[in-house]
Amino acid sequence: MNTFITILFVVFAVYILVAAIMTVTVKNIVHAALWLISSFFTVGALYLLMEAEFIGVAQVLIYVGAVSILILFAIMLTRDLEGTQNRQMTPRWWIALIVPAALFGLLITPTVLTYQWQLPPPAPAGQSTPIAGAAQIGTAFVREYLLPFQVASVLLTVALIGAVVIAFEERERRRYVPTLAEKVRQQQRVRRPDPAASAMQSSETAGSET
Amino acid sequence: MTDILRSLIGNALPDWLIVLIAYLLVTVIVLLFAVGNFIMMVWAERRVVARMQDRLGPNRVGPAGLLQPIADAVKMFTKEDIVPRTADRWVHLLAPVVSLAPVALMLAVIPWGRGWEPVDLHVAILYILAVSAVSGVGLMMAGWGSNNKFALLGAMRAVAQLVSYEIPAVISLLAIVILVGGMSLAQLPYLQAGVPLLGASIICGDPSGCASWLYSTTTLFPGSTQAPVQVLDVGLGWLVFTPVGLLGFAIFFIAALAEGERTPFDIPEADSEIVAGYMTEYSGMKFAVFYIAQYILNFTLAALAATAFLGGWQGPGVAALASMGGPWIHAAAALSAIYLLAKIWVLFFVMIWLRGAFPRLRVDQLMDFAWKLLLPLALVNIGSAALVVSITQWTGAQWGGLVNLDALTTWQRQLIAVAVSAIINGAATYWILSINQRPVLEPEARDEEWAAT
Repeated sequence: MNTFITILFVVFAVYILVAAIMTVTVKNIVHAALWLISSFFTVGALYLLMEAEFIGVAQVLIYVGAVSILILFAIMLTRDLEGTQNRQMTPRWWIALIVPAALFGLLITPTVLTYQWQLPPPAPAGQSTPIAGAAQIGTAFVREYLLPFQVASVLLTVALIGAVVIAFEERERRRYVPTLAEKVRQQQRVRRPDPAASAMQSSETAGSET
Repeated sequence: MTDILRSLIGNALPDWLIVLIAYLLVTVIVLLFAVGNFIMMVWAERRVVARMQDRLGPNRVGPAGLLQPIADAVKMFTKEDIVPRTADRWVHLLAPVVSLAPVALMLAVIPWGRGWEPVDLHVAILYILAVSAVSGVGLMMAGWGSNNKFALLGAMRAVAQLVSYEIPAVISLLAIVILVGGMSLAQLPYLQAGVPLLGASIICGDPSGCASWLYSTTTLFPGSTQAPVQVLDVGLGWLVFTPVGLLGFAIFFIAALAEGERTPFDIPEADSEIVAGYMTEYSGMKFAVFYIAQYILNFTLAALAATAFLGGWQGPGVAALASMGGPWIHAAAALSAIYLLAKIWVLFFVMIWLRGAFPRLRVDQLMDFAWKLLLPLALVNIGSAALVVSITQWTGAQWGGLVNLDALTTWQRQLIAVAVSAIINGAATYWILSINQRPVLEPEARDEEWAAT
């Protein structure tokens, strides 16, 4: 069974890397987004392989279900973003290479140097305790990690309010857009008192409406 | 399934192969079952809608038109597969697959009968919501890959609808998660044993004096460490009979209609407006795959609604049969599967009924309905669910000395919880409905404002 899991891990890992590389090299931006989504999904599969059910499912729910839809919406609602003729590389691509590589090195070096590589022994058969059950994660959020959790919540709330403020129209500038039925009713109401005047008025309103 | 295979061919094959074969067999059975139901659902929908519209419906192929779906399938298989020249070939090809796969994945965690759950996932409810969100990507791919304005419009509408109605659906299920204290779907029907309204809370005082076919042994609250007790159980402690469950069921069922693109919410494929939405450029088998995905999604959502709110496979007689032991356990499983199937088909009939009765909503009405009515109601429902849990399970110390219900018996506390949540939910529903029915501007004032511009 262990070799089976190792094979699965290698398959997933290779796919994630290939998809990630395709994401940054493919010219069509929608294709890039789709490669990114498949990479997200496979990361979720990796979590499941580690029996971290909750994190795996949350990965799919948030990254595939929400973030990717947002990316696709943003691409499809923006004009001239297909970018098949745009250049992929800037002249100073090597700076862009050095900075992330240095950051990655900064993060990975302490981990590699100080991590205890003894893995915990597998749980005895017939006793399956989820490594990261939803209940444990929830308890950790409201006890040990309360401050980071609340900071993240405040950040999300700020983002939400910001989105509303940007999208909000002021009341003076907001105008009621009547439906077709209401337009007809309006014209009839105007027409009823004086047929001669209303013909002019209705053509006027129709003109101003368009 | 694994155990049966082990006893049959346990000596001939290694154990991991048996587990693999067992899961493959279960997968094939579940998928075949779903496709069989799909065929019956198409036939039933056409016949029932025809009856409602005073027509006959398909009645030529086979008895009462029963073989019509087979004829349709043959037609679909033999049709030419047309791909538009300007379409994005691979995206166009993969889109139906990406929209069918998540729906098929959802079938894995539904408990189809007593002890008949393909996979018992700890986070099954979250899993279902997660994979159902993936199908949105498939719709986007279909709309974009077809390179057709109607397809793109339909995909945009479909995804906007999916995203907005996911939120009330998630929150209404969250109330259930709070009530039962876990996200496992396989456990949900077990927790809905008992009698209507009170659930499994009437305890038998004297174990020797209670008839065994009327009582079953459970722990009172999920995850509690108390000793199991004998409770009155007729298999009708469905959550829909409690105020929280009733409101949650209403919200979830409406959201499920929208997610499955059923008629009052069939805006994404409104054929009088945008041809067939994201399916416009699909023909032959690819179209059929979309069609299958949609019906199986409806089927799964009905199964989920039945499991979460209508007791799942729970029904009168299941617990009694199971308590008789031996081969009767299999009879109990079969009976419970029939109960679940009956509930699913009743819900599907209601879906057809709504299709026969209601016109299509406008896009703005759709959004108003989700954000101004369903979402606040679902939030209120979470509050009452939390209150129910605290009334039925908290001790006096947990209340901080504010309220002390320790002296009351379990069913009395349950009754208080039902009364309190009924008042809250009823008042909130009335209030939110009345707010929503109030017009934004008086019609005359609106007309004047409009005339002035």
